[in-house]
Amino acid sequence: MRNALAEIAKYAFAFAVAALAGAVLVAVMRGDVLGAYRTFVWSSLGTAGGFAQTLNKMCPLLLGGLAVGLALRGGYFNIGVDGQIYAGAIAATGVALALETVANPALAPFAVVVGVLGGAAFAAIPAVLRAWWSVNEIFVTVMLNFVAVFLTEYLTTGPWNDVMAGEAITRLIPDAAKLPMLSVRAGSHVGIFLALASAVLVWLVLERTRWGFEVRALGDNERAARVAGIRTAWVTAAVLVASGALAGLAGAIEVTALHHRLILGLTPGYGIMAILIAVLGKARPLGILAASFAMAILLVGSDSLQRSVGLPASAALVFQALIVLSVLFVDAKRSVRA
Amino acid sequence: MSGPPTRSTERLRLEAISKRFGATIALAEAGFEVRAGEIHALLGENGAGKTTLMNVLSGLYHADAGRIWLDGRPAEIAEPRDAIRHRIGMVHQHFELIPPLTALENVIIGQEGSTLLLRRERQARGVAALAARFGFEVDLRAPVAALGLADQQKVEILKAIFRGVDILILDEPTTVLTPQEADALLRTLRTMASEGLSVVFISHKIHEVLGHCDRATVMRAGRSVGTVDASATTEQALVEMMIGERVARTAAPAEREVDDTVLLRVDDVTVAGRGGLPAVSHARFSIGRGEVVGLAGVDGNGQRELVEAIVGLRRVTGGRVELGGRNVTTTAVGDRLAQGLAYIPEDRLGDGALPSMSVAENLFLGVHRLARGGGLTYRPAAIRAGAAAPVRDYAIRGTATTPLGMLSGGNIQKVLIARALAVAGHGDTPLVVAHNPTRGLDVRTTEFVRRCLVDVSRRRGGVFLVSSDLDELMQLAHRILVLFRGAIVADLPSTAFDAYEIGRLMTGAAARA
Ligand SMILES: Nc1ncnc2c1ncn2[C@@H]1O[C@H](COP(=O)(O)OP(=O)(O)OP(=O)(O)O)[C@@H](O)[C@H]1O
Ligand SMILES: [Mg+2]
Repeated sequence: MRNALAEIAKYAFAFAVAALAGAVLVAVMRGDVLGAYRTFVWSSLGTAGGFAQTLNKMCPLLLGGLAVGLALRGGYFNIGVDGQIYAGAIAATGVALALETVANPALAPFAVVVGVLGGAAFAAIPAVLRAWWSVNEIFVTVMLNFVAVFLTEYLTTGPWNDVMAGEAITRLIPDAAKLPMLSVRAGSHVGIFLALASAVLVWLVLERTRWGFEVRALGDNERAARVAGIRTAWVTAAVLVASGALAGLAGAIEVTALHHRLILGLTPGYGIMAILIAVLGKARPLGILAASFAMAILLVGSDSLQRSVGLPASAALVFQALIVLSVLFVDAKRSVRA
Repeated sequence: MSGPPTRSTERLRLEAISKRFGATIALAEAGFEVRAGEIHALLGENGAGKTTLMNVLSGLYHADAGRIWLDGRPAEIAEPRDAIRHRIGMVHQHFELIPPLTALENVIIGQEGSTLLLRRERQARGVAALAARFGFEVDLRAPVAALGLADQQKVEILKAIFRGVDILILDEPTTVLTPQEADALLRTLRTMASEGLSVVFISHKIHEVLGHCDRATVMRAGRSVGTVDASATTEQALVEMMIGERVARTAAPAEREVDDTVLLRVDDVTVAGRGGLPAVSHARFSIGRGEVVGLAGVDGNGQRELVEAIVGLRRVTGGRVELGGRNVTTTAVGDRLAQGLAYIPEDRLGDGALPSMSVAENLFLGVHRLARGGGLTYRPAAIRAGAAAPVRDYAIRGTATTPLGMLSGGNIQKVLIARALAVAGHGDTPLVVAHNPTRGLDVRTTEFVRRCLVDVSRRRGGVFLVSSDLDELMQLAHRILVLFRGAIVADLPSTAFDAYEIGRLMTGAAARA
């Protein structure tokens, strides 16, 4: 009980630090601090449209956070969530465009599944290299991020390019491949349900299956897991592939539910934010859920401040960093006093 | 200071130190006093609070209450830095070395100016001289990762002493040393003590205390029970102080029933070692039902490699391993365990423990692949409930939900043993491979574990006991194999057990003959 309170106090402190920094920033720019706070909260939570945006943002953040968190529980760092999001998006766009003429409503879920597989397949590269050749997954995933971006650039400007738009975006996917909206007026889509379901699934797998137990054992002491007869190479490969599948799902949702096409810049660094979210959430699904919600508010709120007060676009990243640093600072202080 | 310290001057006093971790009371007004030039033993059962008390002294833990006096003055030790400033050095029970660095680098790391090449050469000579003084034959240029536990222990000791200390704390330094090495260490400590060094020496081996220490303080459940002169006490008296009762000695293993069912056959097994030389060469032996086979040898003669080849953690480069008649030479570890092979690894933290997971989860590890029913699902409540019996039977100081890393060293070992014996109970080829299973255990738990191993053989399982404790081997084994430089140089029936003879074989007498 006392622990829970201390945890809550820690996060409250972190957000207070970020809020204070925001106030200083606004004040320096001779803005109206209280008005800025009001805009921030109102735009992200206060209106149906704003809340819808927050949920839409939360979707890739939550899935990305789960992807990083799952790998982390197995003892691995998946820095390639951005690449896997692109891989999922590319795969989903690919089938949607290939089956353009098939006006079957099953196309949307099919495209999503293919997107999940795309993310998984892309993550299979670092997974296999790590599991059987001990190649550090950090390097491989980072490199593959570049590969994914280049591939996206090629597809959006080349074969799938929307010639009318004159931008690095593809043609629109057919209506049959679009996921339904939650509220057309507000602009929220069903992706958030898929993300929430994924969080529950990840929790169930980690905490209520023997395979999840093996993942946790692996993350705690790989050698001990191996000595106890766990086939660590297979678990390693599987956990990294599953991590990629979650990221792939995020990419597929961004295409089939939000943009309705593949665009360059589909992920504005969700993969990096996912790392922060997983760290803040202690790699636990519930923590990741809370952290991704907070991050989504932060992104949407800062975005509106950018428009109203003229806050620089990078301010959101500064706030994120402040929050994470504050939390880590409190943690470090506490462990010293133990 | 006025003149050189004499034997009776008080150097250090710990007064009514209390420390709790959550609900666990680790120390309850514990304390004792150490004189200048004294070797002071600290005794107590696993979990009595010895390590915690010394961690307070070395600034790793902050006591909830109590005071520390140094040379008659109150001392404030809030951080490890303070302890270093007061010239207090500690060799930890679980090593704190940096594996990729060489032994030498580990010793001099953190020393002022160790980056200067010139100074470094001089330091290297200093470390080598210190090692020679202790009779430590450690390859100082080898990375620590490549060293055995005994060598790592020596590196830790050199590291603490090289810094220059007035008070040296040694937390179970002899558990991984051979009796000869322990003896040499203690004699060197005696010389250094006569030059004024004060030593706090933690051990579970009472003969070391009686033979080499001046006084002993006994701890029980976080309190100090009393301090006695080593020359005026007996083993019996100390053990009774520690646990408040007498300990029955293990019964000798039952006469082996004639049964030639072979559980394990190691046939001409060769394992590659470092630098081209085989770590194990052409090992050949078998273990039958109801048999306890011991393996004696000086640490580092291929024990670890042989054991890991049997368990499946290391590839053999020649020969075959059979379990219950089945060829398992290339079979995965998990499949061997499923047949009933159980493994108690020597390096409990490295090879056995899941430090941040609970006692219950640690007990479930490995067993989880064998337990029938449940299939894919993982039921925390059932797993916690399943831990109740081992926690009680093995007297594990902690609960099912305590993270394993928070238990004392001996209690972690108990968890690993409980787990291994559970694995052995699941297969049709029950064979326990135990590598120094009683290392770091207190008197009572040692006897308990030995009885467990004897029970395995009574229930017609097999035991392969690899131990650096010759007394343990002679007490439990039906046969003793002697390993020297990777080769099994003798296979002795119990009628031929003779400590002196085995000692000679361990150091290569057979090879010379
Ligand atoms: N960091 C910690 N967190 C929680 N409990 C701890 C921690 N360190 C020690 N304890 C508890 O304090 C008690 C004393 O532990 P300690 O390690 O001092 O025992 P010990 O006498 O050194 O035993 P051993 O002979 O097994 O090494 C144990 O019950 C242990 O579980
Ligand atoms: Mg201890």
